[in-house]
Amino acid sequence: MNSDRRTGHSLKPELWDQFFKGSRLACARLITLVENFPELVPEIRDKLFSHRRSAIRIGVTGPPGVGKSTVTAALARRALKKGHSVGVIAVDPSSPFTGGAFLGDRVRMQSLIGDPHIFIRSLASRDGHGGLSPSTPYAADIFDAFGMDRIYIETVGVGQAELDVLTCADLVILVLQPGTGDVIQALKAGIIEAADMFLINKSDLPGTESLLDSLRFIFEISARQKTIPRPPILAASALHNKGLDEASAEMERLIHGLIQSGRFQKKKRLRLEGEIKASILQNLWEQFSTLTNAPEEIQAAADDLLKSGQSPYPFIRKISSRIKMETVNEKTCCENRR
Amino acid sequence: MSVEPMKVIIAKPGLDGHDRGAKVVARALVEAGMEVVYLGLRQTPESIVNAALEEDADVIGLSILSGAHMTHFRRVKELMDKNGLGDRLLTGGGIIPTKDQEKLKELGIEKVFGPGDDIQAIVDYIRTWHRSRST
Repeated sequence: MNSDRRTGHSLKPELWDQFFKGSRLACARLITLVENFPELVPEIRDKLFSHRRSAIRIGVTGPPGVGKSTVTAALARRALKKGHSVGVIAVDPSSPFTGGAFLGDRVRMQSLIGDPHIFIRSLASRDGHGGLSPSTPYAADIFDAFGMDRIYIETVGVGQAELDVLTCADLVILVLQPGTGDVIQALKAGIIEAADMFLINKSDLPGTESLLDSLRFIFEISARQKTIPRPPILAASALHNKGLDEASAEMERLIHGLIQSGRFQKKKRLRLEGEIKASILQNLWEQFSTLTNAPEEIQAAADDLLKSGQSPYPFIRKISSRIKMETVNEKTCCENRR
Repeated sequence: MSVEPMKVIIAKPGLDGHDRGAKVVARALVEAGMEVVYLGLRQTPESIVNAALEEDADVIGLSILSGAHMTHFRRVKELMDKNGLGDRLLTGGGIIPTKDQEKLKELGIEKVFGPGDDIQAIVDYIRTWHRSRST
């Protein structure tokens, strides 16, 4: 959009100079670029990768309205007090109908305003359907390279299985509130298993004890527990500023444990593996669809299949056999080269 | 994404507590496909411009019904220029007399909206500005 933001398909060197000199506007612009121009992501990643300083990324997730933003603000405030430099990425949903988004998380983070050691960025979820926007991990890396050592990533209000937060957080805090379900809900697979720590907010409301009991119960009966320590389960009331010092201290203990046990490194490795695999998949699809006219064939096949009412699998097998052929060709050509 | 979505800050500076208009406009812009960062009540010019900077916002919209529009618009404009956001659009709405609208124009705030204005006019104004900026 803005000619000063980029020149063709590469970035202006001045933007990098400003970024590394600590310009907050340059940092904000880089995040906009990874949001709006996926084709610039590799270049930006290349430049930033060596400047990252292993910031700890804390994912804050949970159902809509439980107080994720308020809890995030409360934890961020405590991190600032300890002398950390803090980045907050707050994701809210994009409309699948208009593409617009109402980003309201800053309203709950008023108490953080004015501190020069915090940078808050709201992101619309856009094409992301797992609680984050596709650009969230890149935005976190930009914060990391900018010098933030604690990065809070607040997801969209999620249900049971939106787990994108695992792809970019070292530690996941699941925020719940009383009255959101019984023990049967707690037994279900998904987000409950992803949490490194449970925080029951609004503990001034009735039902807190029974939710605490349900959560403790599922971990008591879990066989996985033999290998993974039970996540801490805490109650807090952000409204009355209760239980948050304890939550923050517990989180620090978890971070310490993550680093000591080597799980921090392992999580980083898994994330990197994931990114590489996803990029390869993307490249494969791009190559496949340019080498063949797959997109058109798929469209035509879908038309035919709808009319005939046949199973799509014969077509899938036929078109997939060409992937094998391409791979074989590639292999022979590599062997020949050797 | 072929079209870069616009990012708009909607805020109410000062002590005026009437936020219905700000919410109506914010929602209309969302329905027009824009990404709206809603700051809500009791903002300072500093907090608004800080948010615009962190969000790399294209547009700042102020809603002022308290009569303090000259003070707030002037201060926000100053801070925008100071923070490298001089190329973004500053607009807004509220109870703003015609003679003050003229003064706002002199400050570089070309257009503000008031009671009776069509919500679509706001959407169109922002879109037209955005198109002229892209070219």
